[in-house]
Amino acid sequence: MKQEILQQFDGYQDVMKEIEAARKFGTDYAGFKGRVAAWIDRYHPARLTLRIGDILEETASTRTLRLVAPDRPLPPFQAGQYLALALRFGQVRTGRPYSISSSPRNTGYYDITVRRVPDGLVSGHLLDHVRVGDALESAGPAGTFVHNPVFHGNALVYIAGGSGIAPFMSMIRETLDCGLDRDILLLYGNRAADDVIFHAELTRLASRFENFRYVPVLEERGALNPPWPCQKGYITRDLLREAVGDLTCRMFYMCGPAALYDFCRRELEALGVPPRRIRQEAYGPPNHISQYPGWPEAVTEDATFRVTVKGSAPIPAHAGETLLTALERGGFAVPSQCRSGECSLCRVRLVSGAVYQPPTVLLRAADRRFGYIHSCAAYPLEDLCVEV
Amino acid sequence: MAARTAPEAVPLFAIVAGLPGKTEKSAFLTLVPPVLTGEVVWCILFTGCIRLMRMRLAELLEGLVELLEWLSPWAERRVPCSVRRLPWAVRRGVGRVGPVGRVGRVGRMKPMDKERVMSRYDVIVVGAGNGGLTAAATLAKAGVATLLLERHSVPGGCATSFCRGRFEFEVALHQLSGLGTAENPGPLRAVFEGLEVLDQLDLIVMEELYRTVGPDGMELTLTADRNAVIAELQRRFPHEKEAIAAFFEFLAAFFMEVVGLFYLKDPAPSRDSYPRAFSCLLKTTQEVLDQFFKDPVLCRALTAYWGYLGLPPRRMPFVDWAMMFLAYIEYKPQHIRGGSQMLSAALADTFLKYGGVVRYNCGAARIVVRDGQVEGVVDDQGELHLAKHVISNASRITTYADLIGREHLPDAAFAEMRGSSIGASAVTVYAGFDQSPDALGITHTTTFIGGCGSQDEEYEATRRLGCHDTTGLALTCYTRMDGGFSPPGTTQAALIMLQYADPWFKVPPEQYAAEKYKAADAMLARAEAVYPGLRDHLEEMEISSPITHLRYLGHPGGAFYGFDQHVKDSASFVSPKPPVDGLYLAGAWATSGGFQPTLDSGVRAARQVLKQLGK
Repeated sequence: MKQEILQQFDGYQDVMKEIEAARKFGTDYAGFKGRVAAWIDRYHPARLTLRIGDILEETASTRTLRLVAPDRPLPPFQAGQYLALALRFGQVRTGRPYSISSSPRNTGYYDITVRRVPDGLVSGHLLDHVRVGDALESAGPAGTFVHNPVFHGNALVYIAGGSGIAPFMSMIRETLDCGLDRDILLLYGNRAADDVIFHAELTRLASRFENFRYVPVLEERGALNPPWPCQKGYITRDLLREAVGDLTCRMFYMCGPAALYDFCRRELEALGVPPRRIRQEAYGPPNHISQYPGWPEAVTEDATFRVTVKGSAPIPAHAGETLLTALERGGFAVPSQCRSGECSLCRVRLVSGAVYQPPTVLLRAADRRFGYIHSCAAYPLEDLCVEV
Repeated sequence: MAARTAPEAVPLFAIVAGLPGKTEKSAFLTLVPPVLTGEVVWCILFTGCIRLMRMRLAELLEGLVELLEWLSPWAERRVPCSVRRLPWAVRRGVGRVGPVGRVGRVGRMKPMDKERVMSRYDVIVVGAGNGGLTAAATLAKAGVATLLLERHSVPGGCATSFCRGRFEFEVALHQLSGLGTAENPGPLRAVFEGLEVLDQLDLIVMEELYRTVGPDGMELTLTADRNAVIAELQRRFPHEKEAIAAFFEFLAAFFMEVVGLFYLKDPAPSRDSYPRAFSCLLKTTQEVLDQFFKDPVLCRALTAYWGYLGLPPRRMPFVDWAMMFLAYIEYKPQHIRGGSQMLSAALADTFLKYGGVVRYNCGAARIVVRDGQVEGVVDDQGELHLAKHVISNASRITTYADLIGREHLPDAAFAEMRGSSIGASAVTVYAGFDQSPDALGITHTTTFIGGCGSQDEEYEATRRLGCHDTTGLALTCYTRMDGGFSPPGTTQAALIMLQYADPWFKVPPEQYAAEKYKAADAMLARAEAVYPGLRDHLEEMEISSPITHLRYLGHPGGAFYGFDQHVKDSASFVSPKPPVDGLYLAGAWATSGGFQPTLDSGVRAARQVLKQLGK
C-alpha cells in the first residue's frame, strides 16, 4: 500500500516512531554471517575429520579405534548413538555406521568398536590398514537408540549380540561412571568365549556395582577369562524370565544381528512384553534377504540385473545386495548414514522396475506414493532405472 | 544436417584470433549434439575459444559471434543433451551445459572466480520449503528452466515428516487454512489447482476450530461455523451477549474492507469507504478486543490461535489475527492425509513433471552478485550454476549475510532489517502412543492448554528455557483425522510450546540432550493434567528444540515464522523492492510465517520472475 494512504490510518505516526527506535537500537544482521552454520556445526556437523588417537585390541577379531578431533571440540552425543564413517576405496565411495562405545561424558574422544565381518571391505580396512594418526571422515553422531528418561524408566534390560555390545557399553559406562539411578541387566550373546568383547571390563563393573548385572550367553562351550558364570545356548524366554524376574516395568533394548532381533522379539512378545517396551537398534542389512516374508520365489539372491542411473551407463546389481551397495560399486556418490532403511539420507527415485523392501524399512507415506525408495533397504528384483 | 562435416579446427583458431570485436556481451555459443560427425572438432574449437578468452581477449568475442553465424547450420538452440554424455573437454572447460543443452553465454566466464560452471538456468530456487516448492513448480509449469537446490534429502522444509518405529510424525502442519471446498473455495485452492496438486491430495475438512482448556477450569470448544461460534460464546458469556454480536459484525465488515484494500487493491481508498480498516489496521488484537469486551476470559478463548502467529494479543496485529480467525471459520481448517510431506512431495512431483531439475542433498553456498545484479548460485559442492533470477527460500538474514554478503548489498538492506527481531521457535514433543485417541481421552484434534497466568505470561515463558506452569501448550492429535500415520489402535500426536532460541544457546552442548528431556517431561506433565495416564502409553517419542529447527531449516533462531510480526513489521512497512536485481524472497521471511502465507509467497515470487522474463 502506498505510504501516503497508509499515513491516514490511525496510529501511523506511532508505528513510524517505533520503527525508527527499533532500527536505531536494533540488530546488525550482517554480524550473523556464519552464525547459523557455526551452531549447526557445534551440534550436528555434516562432516567431521577425526584422527585415530589409539587402537585397542579387544579380541582376536575386534579392535576399538579411539578417535579424536585435533582441531575442534567433539560434538555431544547420547549413549547409544553412532558415527557414520565416510570411506573411499578407489572410485568407490561408501560409508558404515559404528556405534560409539565410549561414554558421552567423556568429551575427549569417541571410541568405535569394530569386529571383522567375513570378506568385509570396511571392517577389513579398519582392522588391517589404519594406523594411529590416520584421518577418518565421519558425519556427526546420530541415531535414536538412546535412553529416553521421559518414559523409559530406570529398569533396563540390554540384549546384545556380538559387536552389538558397542552402544550398550556406552550406556553402561555412562550410568556407572556418573552414578545414574538406573538398574541394568545385560544379556550378551556370543558364539564362543573368545568372541566376547569387553568381558574383563564387564566382569569388573558387575562385581563392583549393585545396579549392573552381567549375563554372558554362549552358543558353544568354552571357558571365559576371567571366569564368570555364563548361560549356554540362546537368549530364550526361559532365560529371560529367569534372569529378569518381574518383566512388567522393564524396558528392553536389543542390538545385534537380524537373527537375534527376529528370535528375541518373538520370545519377548511370548512373555507378554508390549511393543512399546522393546527398542531395537538399526543394524545394517540382513544377511539372507530372500528368507524374508514377501520375497518373490522366482528371484534368487545371485540374480543380476541392470541398474540405470538416469543419464549414465547401466551398472550390474545383484538381487541379494542392496541397491545402495550396487550404486556405490558403480562409482556413484550416494549420501548414506544408518544404512538400515531408517534415516532416509540415501533416498532415490525409482523411475522404473521393481525392488524388494524389507518390512523394517521406515519409508514415508509420501515417498511410497511418489515412487521414492531408501536405496540401503531396497533389493533389485528386475532391471531398474533410478534417479539419484 | 548430420551429413555436413564441421570445419577444421586449426584454421578456426586463426579466424577467431584475427576477428575484431568490442563487446563481450553478445557472445553466445551453442553446442551441437555430440552425435554429429563434427563433435570432436567442435570440442576443440570450443575449448580453444575458451582458452583464448581466458587470456582476457574479450574483444575477440564479437568476432566469435560472426564465426558462429557462419557455422550456424550446425548450431541448434535447445539441443537436448546430458552433461554426462558430453566430452571431457566440454565438461571440464567452461562448458555451459544447461538442463537441455541451453544456449550459454561465455563472455563473462573469466571473472567468475574459480568455480566450475556446471549449468545455466533461467531461474534458481534456493530451498525446497513451502515457498521454494510453489515458486519452483509455478516456474517449471510456465516453461522456465528452473533449478531447485535443497540441502536435505527430502523436500518440504517445515512441511515434512519423519518415521520412528510404527509411527510417521507430522513435523509442522496443524491446521491448513485458506483452502476451502469446491463450493466455497479459499484463496489457496486456486494455487493448489494451478500447480496440479489438488487432485493428488486427500483433504480432510475439520469441523472444529479448537478446544481450549484454561487454567481456571474454563473449557470451550469452537466449531468452524460463524453462527455456531457466536452462539457458543454467547451461551458461555451471557454478560457479553450484545458485545459478541457486535464484534462479529465488525469482524466481517473489517474482513471485507481488508480484502478490498489489499486483495482487490482499491486505487483510491478513503476513511469513508473503509472506516474500520482506517481505524484498526495498525492496532494490536488486544486494543481492538478491549473496545468490545470486558471479560478477559472471553478474550483469551477467542485468541487461542495466537501461537500460530507467534505473538500474544497485546503484540499481535489485529489484522493478522482477524484474517486468520475468520479464514478458519469461513473456509474451515483442513488436514492433508499423509501430512504436509504429501503436499511437498506432490509439489516436487509437479516441478519434475514440467522439466524442473532438483538437487537434493545440495545446498547453496553463495548467491553470485555483480554490479547489483544476480548472476548465479554456487552450491555447497563448489559448482556454479548461472541464472539471472534467484528465488531464495532461505531466511532473509541468511540470504543477505551469508549467501550474498554485505559487500554486495546496499546499506538499506541491512538497515531495514535492523528493526526486526528474530521470531519464536518451539519445543515439540512428537509422541506415538500404543492406544487409540479415545482410550487416551484425546477427544479433539486441536487442543490449547493455557498457562496458569495470562497470555502475556505465556509469552514471557517462551523466552525462558523449558516448560513452566505459565507456559501455553497445544496438542494436535493427527490420528483423530487421519489413521494412516500409525497402525490401528495407536495414536500419533504433537505437543508443542513456542520457545525462543536464545536460552537454548546458553545450554552447554553436553547438557543439551538432558535439557530437551527435561522440557519434554514438564510438557507431558502439563498434558497429563488434562489427559491422565498419557505417559504410560508412550511408545515412541522425538523432541525438537529451537536448535533442531535451526539445524533442519537453517533459520537463525530456528524461527519458523521468520521475524516477529509486530504491527511495525507488516509488509506495508517493508520495501517491496529487492535490494539487488534478480533476487526474490519466498517463505516465512519474505512476509510472514505459516503454511498459507509461505505457500502463497512462492507463487508471488515466481510471478514476479515471470513478469521480468516477459511471460
